[in-house]
Amino acid sequence: MKELLSVRNVTKHYNGGSVVTKALDGISFSIGKGEFVAVMGASGSGKSTLLNVIATIDRVGAGEILIDGVNVCDMDENALSAFRRDKLGFVFQDYNLLDTLTIEENIVLPLNLKREPLDKTRDALQRVAAQLDIADQLNKFPHELSGGQRQRAACARALITSPSLILADEPTGALDSRNSKLLMKTFDMMNSAFGSTILTVTHDASVGSYAARVLFLKDGKVFGECVRGDRSRREMYAEILSVTASLGGDVDVY
Amino acid sequence: MFTKLAARNVKRQIGNYLIYYITVSLTVALMFAVNNAIFEKQLLARAASIDELRTALITVTVFISAVVAFVLGYATSFMLKLRKREFGMYLTLGMTRRNVLGVFLLESLILCAVSLATGLVLGLAFYQGIMAIVTNIMDVRYSFAAYSLQGLLLTVGLVAGVFALSAVTSALYLRRVSINSLLHDAQKSERTVKHPVPWAVLAVATLAAIITCCIVIGNEIITSAQNNNGSLAMLNICVITLIISIVLFHVGLCKSMFGLLLRSERFKNNGTNTFTLRKLSSKLSANAVMAGILALLMTFAVAGANASFLMQTANNAALDRSYPFDVFGEIPYDSDSPVDMTTAHNAIAEFSTITREADYTIYTSGKDYLHGFTKWHGENYSELYDEFITESEFNALFGMLGYPQLKLGGGFAIVPHSAYAKNVEACDFSAAQLRVGERTFDFKGFANAPLTTLRFFLAVVPDAAIDGLTACADGWACMLDGDKFDAQGLHDKLTYEYTNGHLQYMRCDFGIKQYHKIQSDAESAVFIVTALYVALVFVFMAMAMLALKTLSDMADDRKHYDTLFRLGASKRDMTRTLFRQTFAFFFIPFALPILFGIPTAAICYALMQTTGFAAIALKTINIAFGVAAVITAVYALYFAATYLTAKRNVIRRV
Repeated sequence: MKELLSVRNVTKHYNGGSVVTKALDGISFSIGKGEFVAVMGASGSGKSTLLNVIATIDRVGAGEILIDGVNVCDMDENALSAFRRDKLGFVFQDYNLLDTLTIEENIVLPLNLKREPLDKTRDALQRVAAQLDIADQLNKFPHELSGGQRQRAACARALITSPSLILADEPTGALDSRNSKLLMKTFDMMNSAFGSTILTVTHDASVGSYAARVLFLKDGKVFGECVRGDRSRREMYAEILSVTASLGGDVDVY
Repeated sequence: MFTKLAARNVKRQIGNYLIYYITVSLTVALMFAVNNAIFEKQLLARAASIDELRTALITVTVFISAVVAFVLGYATSFMLKLRKREFGMYLTLGMTRRNVLGVFLLESLILCAVSLATGLVLGLAFYQGIMAIVTNIMDVRYSFAAYSLQGLLLTVGLVAGVFALSAVTSALYLRRVSINSLLHDAQKSERTVKHPVPWAVLAVATLAAIITCCIVIGNEIITSAQNNNGSLAMLNICVITLIISIVLFHVGLCKSMFGLLLRSERFKNNGTNTFTLRKLSSKLSANAVMAGILALLMTFAVAGANASFLMQTANNAALDRSYPFDVFGEIPYDSDSPVDMTTAHNAIAEFSTITREADYTIYTSGKDYLHGFTKWHGENYSELYDEFITESEFNALFGMLGYPQLKLGGGFAIVPHSAYAKNVEACDFSAAQLRVGERTFDFKGFANAPLTTLRFFLAVVPDAAIDGLTACADGWACMLDGDKFDAQGLHDKLTYEYTNGHLQYMRCDFGIKQYHKIQSDAESAVFIVTALYVALVFVFMAMAMLALKTLSDMADDRKHYDTLFRLGASKRDMTRTLFRQTFAFFFIPFALPILFGIPTAAICYALMQTTGFAAIALKTINIAFGVAAVITAVYALYFAATYLTAKRNVIRRV
């Protein structure tokens, strides 16, 4: 499998006056193209910091991050914006849909930012809206949709640019268990039908069980790894629980 | 503990409160300066009607306080909403509503005290500035103006009242609001107008109404200046229609403009256009009435400032035209005035030195032959008879002012009244012939001289032509040595009690230029100071409202721009989007008032031309530009401060 993301010896410190917090401590791992990887760990383990530095919205202290062979740590602010726009897709815990825009306008926003021609934008919209089953919700505003529908709209927005990597930050955090399951099936479909590479950060063992691989973080380092392989989701779920138990708990179990 | 908390909150919230603080301080400073001027003896004692002016000024300052109270109440509610999570947290932690209100009011009190102190200190300087302007207008030497205790007390009282009102607004809000709605933002509902076309129709219709009203008002003012028969009722209807149209135009514009732009697929699907248009559409449609009211306030500010400066310029020009001589008087033979020419002459000599003088006699034919060539004859003008002055007396009188000697060459000339020169000169006297005995005098043309007595025109005839005419009034004019004499005293001395039927009033048959100049200057000064005061406060309030509204939405904006940032919008894209968003929000209520300077200047220009002040007509254009430039500069400062604050808080950097 071709390597898509490579995180090499990345360190990140936060200075809070006299206190220095080490969020990432020389972390290294890589993700192959088309892989679905979950990152789990206790609060303060560095999950969100890791996602932020990969998402290029935070700078690393040392080390390098290569996405599609490009070292994002060397890029200036403008190049990073273009990189985020063209190569990355985002799904957030609280959807981050703009409440004054319709669902359609939210979904096509990344293409508008790229100044794609109108025909191409329309085609892409039809494609993702049909796949994510939100074609009849396009003219509504976010507040008119349920949490699950909103998160599907957010997924459509992440998919519309056909990004190299989709980053999800606690995507089921605001959803009930039924909608969480539906969303993870959507992720599964995005991974299999669109061939999207997905990296999600989660507390939820059941979310992790959908991934092909789960990385466990502790004190800013990769502490362990679970690979699903040919095993069932139930078996994967059991293994995740056992690893997190050895980490000291702090994982949501449904 | 609550005092400490309130003090720390003020310190922490200094960024949010800055524009509020600046606005309140500047307004208090203006209020204090004007309130001092109200009780300034030098200013009002010179104006004709001291008590009326003082009452008018106090009314204006109370009215201004009411506007300030309304705006600050609105601003306070922004502040409250900006910090509702914090107050919700206090309540959750067990503080009572009374405690929370106490903390907020204490903060307001600290802010009020600091703003009042700053405003009073600034006001000390503003007042001297105002008095420098006033003394300049009044042509008096500037000397340090004393501060008045009454002015201070009035300011403190009004400011206390304003803050009490805004405290009541806060108290009402905090008493009713639930902890849940404080802690959690209410569900955002889309406020974009779904049917912008009817609103666009409203905007176009009201714009047409605004243009029509401007034209009609202009015509009415000019007509009434020309022949004093403009319709006041029509003027009032137009002004009311204009006020309503300005508000409705902005409501229509705010609710349609961006909604219509959103219909253009190609335009909206480009960069951050959808984002900007939706934000503006939502924000402006929610604040449409506010935008209309602010535009109205600023339109008044622009029109008022223009009118006040114009009034001063026009007053000075009118004074020179109405009073070409230092003292001038005419007493009809049938008058029973106790102040005759000799008494007047002696009285004037007591007060000043007469350098040049001329007397003359007015004759009448007892007929309205010459009036027959004008529109002033017939049933409505039955009392109007032709009046004459001899060539030699005319030349002696106006020779004093440096006018060239008139040579009639055996004919007669017509001197129109200065205010009616255009109308008189438009009449065709070419066929007019005066017959005295065997002799006939032909019309030779119009004579150029500043005639200011109560008649439309006067005929200048050769000295020999008076044989068949009857003398009806004596006139006398003189020039004095300088203007440093007690003009008020002289006026009092020449004034007498006059009874006409049941009417009894004080009358003076002599026009003393210096006396009228002092009156006119004092009234101009009061008018200018009041108009500028109102204009500046209106502009401050309007800008503060826009700035506070923008800043109070900053928390939402930050979230939205953060999403844009994550989706890959470049810093340039985001900065440009924020600029457009802030600029459009600031510009929409500002555009019309600034453009309003154009019809105001045009009306004033036409008015000056019509009333014979062509020489100063161009000044009206300069005044309009000056007013627009000052208001734009102040506006630009507020916009820049708001945009930069918003940019610092909203645009994220890696």
